[in-house]
Amino acid sequence: MPRRNDIKSILIIGSGPIVIGQACEFDYSGTQACRVLRQEGYRVTLVNSNPATIMTDPEFADATYIEPITPEFVEKIIERERPDVLLPTMGGQTALNVAVELADRGVLKKYGVELIGAKLEAIKMAEDRELFRKAMDRAGLECARGGFVNTLDEGLKIAESIGFPLIIRPSFTLGGTGGGTAYNFEEFTEKIQHGLTSSPITQVLIEESVIGWKEYELEVMRDMKDNVVIICSIENFDPMGVHTGDSITVAPAQTLTDKEYQQMRDFALRIIREIGVETGGSNIQFAVDPKNGRVLVIEMNPRVSRSSALASKATGFPIAKMAAKLAVGYTLDEIPNDITKLTPASFEPTIDYCVVKIPRWDFEKFKGVDDTLGVQMKSVGEAMAIGRTFKEALQKALRSLEQGRFGLGSDGKDAVEVDSLSEMEKIEWRKKVLDRIKIPRPGNIFYLRYGLQLGISIDELYQATGIDPWFLYNIKQIVDYEKELKAYRV
Amino acid sequence: MKPSKFKKTERSPVTSEILRKAKEYGFSDRQLAEIWEMKESDVRLLRKKMNIVPVFKTVDTCAAEFAASTPYHYSTYERENESIKSKKKKIVILGGGPNRIGQGIEFDYCCVHGVMALREEGYEMIMINCNPETVSTDYDTTDKLYFEPLTLEDVLNICDHEQPYGVIVSFGGQTPLKIAKALEENGVPILGTSPEGIDIAEDRERFGLLLRKLNIKHPKYGTAHTVDHAVQVAEQVGFPVLVRPSYVLGGRAMEVCYTISAVRDYMKKAVDVSPDHPVLIDRFLEDAFEFDVDCVCDGKDVVIGGVMEHIEEAGIHSGDSSCVLPPYMISDKSYSEMIEYTIELAKGLNVLGLMNVQFAVKDDTVYVLEVNPRASRTVPFVSKATGLPLAKIAAKVMAGRTLKELGCKDFDFRKMEHVAVKEAVFPFAKFPRTPVFLGPEMRSTGEVMGISKNFGESIAKSQIAAGNTLPTEGTAFFSVNDNDKSGTAVAIARGLINLGFDILATEGTAAFFLKNNVPCGKIFKVNQGRPNSVDYIKNGKIQLIINTPLGEVSRNDEFAIGWAALEHKVSFITTLSAAAAAVKAIETEKAGGMSVQSIQEYLGMHTIA
Repeated sequence: MPRRNDIKSILIIGSGPIVIGQACEFDYSGTQACRVLRQEGYRVTLVNSNPATIMTDPEFADATYIEPITPEFVEKIIERERPDVLLPTMGGQTALNVAVELADRGVLKKYGVELIGAKLEAIKMAEDRELFRKAMDRAGLECARGGFVNTLDEGLKIAESIGFPLIIRPSFTLGGTGGGTAYNFEEFTEKIQHGLTSSPITQVLIEESVIGWKEYELEVMRDMKDNVVIICSIENFDPMGVHTGDSITVAPAQTLTDKEYQQMRDFALRIIREIGVETGGSNIQFAVDPKNGRVLVIEMNPRVSRSSALASKATGFPIAKMAAKLAVGYTLDEIPNDITKLTPASFEPTIDYCVVKIPRWDFEKFKGVDDTLGVQMKSVGEAMAIGRTFKEALQKALRSLEQGRFGLGSDGKDAVEVDSLSEMEKIEWRKKVLDRIKIPRPGNIFYLRYGLQLGISIDELYQATGIDPWFLYNIKQIVDYEKELKAYRV
Repeated sequence: MKPSKFKKTERSPVTSEILRKAKEYGFSDRQLAEIWEMKESDVRLLRKKMNIVPVFKTVDTCAAEFAASTPYHYSTYERENESIKSKKKKIVILGGGPNRIGQGIEFDYCCVHGVMALREEGYEMIMINCNPETVSTDYDTTDKLYFEPLTLEDVLNICDHEQPYGVIVSFGGQTPLKIAKALEENGVPILGTSPEGIDIAEDRERFGLLLRKLNIKHPKYGTAHTVDHAVQVAEQVGFPVLVRPSYVLGGRAMEVCYTISAVRDYMKKAVDVSPDHPVLIDRFLEDAFEFDVDCVCDGKDVVIGGVMEHIEEAGIHSGDSSCVLPPYMISDKSYSEMIEYTIELAKGLNVLGLMNVQFAVKDDTVYVLEVNPRASRTVPFVSKATGLPLAKIAAKVMAGRTLKELGCKDFDFRKMEHVAVKEAVFPFAKFPRTPVFLGPEMRSTGEVMGISKNFGESIAKSQIAAGNTLPTEGTAFFSVNDNDKSGTAVAIARGLINLGFDILATEGTAAFFLKNNVPCGKIFKVNQGRPNSVDYIKNGKIQLIINTPLGEVSRNDEFAIGWAALEHKVSFITTLSAAAAAVKAIETEKAGGMSVQSIQEYLGMHTIA
């Protein structure tokens, strides 16, 4: 199906101020969407309260509203501009939430504005945990077991049916306060009561723990003709339990067998079809049990995301731009690949290099902050590097972070020079390293290096961290080669 | 130097195979320098002598199965180079690297504008950056993109290959500036203000000399290496003082000290103090108002992009302070002095491109706090508010155009008929139990703008956009420090009462209000008894909090109030000037009917094509 001629004007909602979890990736996606939709001849109206963005430059849209992104203000803009359609998938969760609110309040109906990119039902199905779980059931896929409870008794029932360990997450608390992991009934009783008290609506989510499982993401696109392509697979170096925004991530996935990857790919197709995202990009997260290969669907974002920005940069396939085109009627086979110009966008990108992304944190600015990494994202930025191998990309990414490091150690900034330690000190350091890496924290990767230098085995490191041995083996190669280099002179 | 297992004589000489493999494994020259105990520049020489230089591969979506036309590259150590060098005149812009607090999207904005402007001028534009979130790393933005680290080694490798006409280092924040001097030493032509000019602005002694020469005032300052010396310096410059390490390691905070003992405490905590890394001590101009000025200088003329007045008093980092453009409370005298000083400084530093100056005004005297001859955080805000695309103009000026040619020599931002307010957005909610008060160290992650025809509405919009929705009725709770027990506090409380609010206050503040005939109720501080202020907040009995702590802010009371406010989403204001602005905003909200208008409409008369 070609370009839609029944629409003339499009409203795009941006993501507002930069906050942890929603940064300039949405300026990237929004700028691309504005650019391509205007090239297509549509009138573009944009709302974004963030003046530091490129998308809010007067030349990127026909009408740019630097106004608060609230349903009230966006309604005023709709009343004034009378757009035919609203594209809510470019501005992160902020844009999606406001779009849903406008639909629920009847504003979109009142002014005859159609949602494009993702339909209301699809957004709700992806966002609502219960609806999503049911959808996955229908697609024959598994989610982490669990549910919301309001009392201890309800909680105990779930605990009995699933078993331990269990994750307890109070609803609507700041910084995830009041949550935790329970390994037995005593801990569970204590934590659930604490969680219920912390939650302003006395509600907690109890879920089976998948901490330590391998974590993957797939970037998927679908068009009106039901063509689906996988743009990129991303593997988290840090296992489940660390927010993907706080994880070192690697593209393409490195430690899956082809069979496992094909299965995950099939799952992704089933998911995007079941949720019904008709035109655009989605991000789907999976957890894989390293013991038996059991795959759980963690969540799906029916919009462009931080990961899609990363996937776009990692592959050269501009997801936001393509998503904007799909939203106005084009199909994947009708859009030429941006880079080759010869192949259509329905060709899945192929990567003959390795991409590593490492987050950057700014904890030192916040006195007394808890610097452990968990399910809530805490990083403020990230660097990405491209190399022919994981080793090269990893070291490039570490020096890209600009935190005084020039690779994986041996840059004069190491916390310890293992060669200069006495035997006693080595024993102490071994313990120190193993204790440290059990809890995810910024900079743990350097402790993996110290551990390897101290002779801790890959298996021991794996047991302590859940980081796939393949990654550890590659780090060991770097460490070993560094040792070898020391045997030479210039 | 680290001890090596091998004695030097036992080691065999490194071969090109060994070195090549090290590079294939991603080892940087800096790491190799450390391993072989030599200088980074010598590793580079050795590498070049052995002909081990990177090649640039193309990101082409198809693993080279089809020909790719988009020049998006990364370096690696292999044989075949895929980045074809054109014959066009090239300019490289260095990006800002990963986002962090203090260096974020604003610099990406400046880089992208630089690229757009100089493409218009016919240059081939090359972008180097390693942040995947940005527009600058969208290969659609530039003629050529190198997705590479912004270290000296990586940038030099690209410059070796591309041989650019010039490199712009002043758009990407601190990141490219850190390597500017070394790039220049390696023969890379730097466009814009010279690294020398940048150095003068950053070196206290040299900058002090320039200010004295230009007869421009600055707050008294000194440097100290020991605890006793610090006390001495503090007494010389006069309390209160702003103390900070000259060498910021791990982000040791700046602090405002009011007493000798506070200075001693600070110095004891500042573990990095040494002859190489002294502590800087500045007179802190209390109750002063701060201003930011952004300008572009072409070596001859200076165009002022805008003057912004900070809403919060001095002492709060300019990135965390809200500000208004044009200024709303300033005398004509101070205003013209600021403009005059800005022009003199731009010329004095031989600025070619952007410059930002921070001023403090106290008792109608203008002091210079800081000068940065580079793109500042406020450039996009000023450009959006006034329609003058500062970064684009600066880029063109760096490439040799004049302000006169660009038609913006006579731009006057004061002709604007609207008011723009910038408000900062903080991540406190993500970091439970950390102090939520603003200070001299920047902690905001982002910003919003409120724009309208009047101050009150712009403030109201900025607050709503930042998620600090102000209440229009209910109870306002005051707890202000002794310095703030002033006419301003009384006026704010009266303003709120006129808007229908009830007032509650802690003991001292309540006594002060009652003495000034402001009707108010009295409640306990956290440690005075129950129910106290935090109980009131938790029970939904307080809708607005005005709490101005003094000095060391980690005291339990304020801490508890701050967190209760965040958790229960109660508006929380920590300075009187912000409170006064909030009263204006509440007035506007109560009057209803805030309107929206596009930026194109606001800028109709000011946009420069």
